Amino acid sequence: MHAEPQAADIPRKTGRDIRLFVALLALIAVFVIVNAVSNYAVDYVTIGDHFKYGSIGSEAANGIPYWIWKAMPELFADKLPGKGYASLGFIQEAGHDQPVGFSIRRVLIDRVALNCGVCHTGSVRDTPDAAPRIITGMPADTIDLEGYTRFLFESAKDERFNANQMMDAIEKSGGHLGFIERFIYRHFAIPQTKQELLSRATRMEFTKRQPDWGPGRVDSFNSYKALQFNFPIDKLSDGEIIGTVDMPSIWQQRPREGMQLHWDGDNSSVKEQNWSAALGAGVTPVTIDAQGMKRIEDWLLNATPPTYPYPIDRDLAARGKPLYDEHCASCHGASGRNFTGEYVGKVTPVEEVGTDRHRLDSNTYELVENQNTLFAGYPWRFTKFRKTNGYANMPLDGLWLRSPYLHNGSVPTLRDLLSAPENRPQMFYRGNDVFDRDNVGFVSTETEARGRRFFRYDTSLPGNSAAGHSYGVSLGSDEKNALIEYLKTF
Amino acid sequence: MDNTMGTTKHKWRRFILIVVVAVAVLSGWTWWNLFHEVPVHYSSDEEQFKYGSIGVEGPMGMPYWLWLAMPRMFPEKLPGPGGYASFGMVWEEGKELPVGFSKTTIGVPRVGMNCAACHTTAIRKTAEAKPVLIPGGPSQQFDIQAYQRFLIACARDRRFNADEILKELQSIYEFSFFEKALYRYVIIPETRRTLLDQGKQFEWMNIRPDWGPGRTDMNPYKLIVLKLTDDRSVGNTDIMAIWNEREHEGYLRHSDGLNPRLIEVSISAALATGATAESVDIPAVRRVNQWLLDLPSPKYPFAVNAELAAKGKVVFDRECADCHAPGSPRIGKIVPASEVGTDPNRARHWTSQAADEFNRQFDMFSWGFDHFRGNTGGYVALALEGLWARAPYLHNGSVPNLHDLLEPVESRPKMFYRGNDVYDPQGVGFVTDAESRGGRQFFKYDTALPGNGNDGHIYGTMLPDADKAGLIEYLKTL
Repeated sequence: MHAEPQAADIPRKTGRDIRLFVALLALIAVFVIVNAVSNYAVDYVTIGDHFKYGSIGSEAANGIPYWIWKAMPELFADKLPGKGYASLGFIQEAGHDQPVGFSIRRVLIDRVALNCGVCHTGSVRDTPDAAPRIITGMPADTIDLEGYTRFLFESAKDERFNANQMMDAIEKSGGHLGFIERFIYRHFAIPQTKQELLSRATRMEFTKRQPDWGPGRVDSFNSYKALQFNFPIDKLSDGEIIGTVDMPSIWQQRPREGMQLHWDGDNSSVKEQNWSAALGAGVTPVTIDAQGMKRIEDWLLNATPPTYPYPIDRDLAARGKPLYDEHCASCHGASGRNFTGEYVGKVTPVEEVGTDRHRLDSNTYELVENQNTLFAGYPWRFTKFRKTNGYANMPLDGLWLRSPYLHNGSVPTLRDLLSAPENRPQMFYRGNDVFDRDNVGFVSTETEARGRRFFRYDTSLPGNSAAGHSYGVSLGSDEKNALIEYLKTF
Repeated sequence: MDNTMGTTKHKWRRFILIVVVAVAVLSGWTWWNLFHEVPVHYSSDEEQFKYGSIGVEGPMGMPYWLWLAMPRMFPEKLPGPGGYASFGMVWEEGKELPVGFSKTTIGVPRVGMNCAACHTTAIRKTAEAKPVLIPGGPSQQFDIQAYQRFLIACARDRRFNADEILKELQSIYEFSFFEKALYRYVIIPETRRTLLDQGKQFEWMNIRPDWGPGRTDMNPYKLIVLKLTDDRSVGNTDIMAIWNEREHEGYLRHSDGLNPRLIEVSISAALATGATAESVDIPAVRRVNQWLLDLPSPKYPFAVNAELAAKGKVVFDRECADCHAPGSPRIGKIVPASEVGTDPNRARHWTSQAADEFNRQFDMFSWGFDHFRGNTGGYVALALEGLWARAPYLHNGSVPNLHDLLEPVESRPKMFYRGNDVYDPQGVGFVTDAESRGGRQFFKYDTALPGNGNDGHIYGTMLPDADKAGLIEYLKTL
């Protein structure tokens, strides 16, 4: 027995080599397969679900590991205004794990990040007690994006954000992780997430120099300066530090091609507008999911807003039409579907339109120069960003769903917009999704409802002014009624 | 035995063959990734001027991806927000690179400067307006020295390493496994070494007053190309306008009149930009040179009072024409520093020794220099086309605007800010009283520093106010 192995020495050695080789091959195969199968997102059949829950590729660079994201509202409940992410105004549909606007992709482990749906899906209630209608493509009217980022940053700064407490919280949130996942979470996911959130928090410090965004608003271009380009943000001058705007609707993109897009009309390409927004949601030029994006982009070309669901006085509306044609059409299009008009999609100088100029000034020539380096090295590098001198005249499709009005969301309803600037509300509340049929817009006078406190919008703060756009303010009250009735049909 | 021998021999042959093929493939791959060149040509002369290569990218080019990542990695070393824009680089709308920067593939994509970096003026009519670019004008807004110091400072930072840089690049561009290896083991360490070398080569700058935006010096030739002993001379001078050169045929070039031949000055400028004698693209420089012959000077973009200007012409003809009118006896020639009275530093920094050695240095090249001269002892009486766009004035850019230039020396500003591209039609020059704009800190110009004096050129300073007003109005029309 003892001598035998010696005799078989040479063949055994070869055998060992072969086994080693096979093992090596297997290892490589596993590596290749793991890599190939470990980056995939959930597929959704309907475009509506894809828009609300599908991935655009933001998870790899800016995603939060699923179970951390799941456990955070439990572990840091004290940092939220109410229970769970829904308390920040995110829309939670029945039968869905995550709110609208959150996608999941596996990048070794499942990660959660934002998609287009987060800022462009809204909810509308017919009455305070009615169930909300969830409408894709409309501006998010309830979500507090700044509140969400603050929650993440404050949590990361908290000492409870450590492996032990987080692992316990994950267990309590239902994450019964296997051995390998526990290992990954404890030693990589949790410390890395904390570090990344802290670094992002530092870059986003500039928001402390701004009035709060409140629900339905975002400062996308200053965030761009901080997150995409890492400008020395503490050196940003006061003149450019506030760029907070209302989230826009995104239906009917086909007729918008070539118009000056974004509030200040800084880009004339629908594709760049879309991809730029995707960068804002957290994709990078490397991680963007071009197919996932294309599905949304194709759909948006022809997507239409829902028609006004409440009664319209047709006679009154008919009397409003000539008023619209006379006072509004050249800038805002022939109708809610026909966007022809001499000045539609063009920029009106800020001195002329007279609205708050902070957003315009926050988008600097220097930023534009940098934006045109985005996607460098790819054939789709951005080339259309421009510095403008005013605000773009927007088509008005689905106008009834786009309150509060003006680029900074400073005027609660259409009726207020037709009042002289000095008579518009100086203070109102944002975040309520109950519709105000008389004035056309969301109810803006209640401080809280259904357990949620609304955001007090103060028009005297920098960037929040409700001045300007005084078109139609001198019409008679009958005429205003007619015009408002007509605008409901858009 | 024979059989075994044969097998062994055969094995050896096979082994050698494999090694040869492997070495060939590897060298081919290395050559491709480090040296293969993809020339970029523009059909329009102006595009070639703005974005074409003059041969800088090989020796001094920054690998493009590193160049793109650096302002994002080291924002604390920038003078303000905006990335490279904070150095006063200007982009035309929609372009990937700023004017004056070319991107050429030499192995990997690389970025270098060309003539337009220093010879394109940006002008804003108001602080809110977009800059308008004037090709051929001095880049009074671009701080080339600060840009170079930024790159060197990045290389000295401990975060300038493959891990950190590749991490930053992860979110910019997708590299293949091999590209990553190439950057990690070759491109990044090599770039770091080159920049650190540059830091040493340019140490002489640190004992001299800073250039600030829109200024440069001939000392790089003396101390780096010719390796002469540092005489601590200060050669800081304003960058010049280079339009309308056909009319300037035979005039002395450089503020201190170092050479009468445009082509020699152009090629030497290409060397200053970072090209070496081997890398400089002579046909490209000649092409730009040819284009400059008839490049028009820009028209004054604000209103001019024609009546007042007509009165001013009389004053000009009487007071200035002797030196500055086309065809006048002194135009394009040296006026001794003792006569004009302006800061003498620049006029004595380029010695005859430097000139002689510079003329010899490139003898083995067909384009070698023959006409450089030193110790000129004075400054050239320049032609004044497009004068309005050439502020600040005098050879060292020590006087902010035409209004100040017509003031007695003691009334000229002793301290002002350079780098702002907002125009001041009252003073006729750029705005120089703002410390910063949009977070960008401007350069504080101190006339008390060596080479920065604002003395001299007192011509016209004693004129009655009405004559001055007329003269300034007329100068706008040049």
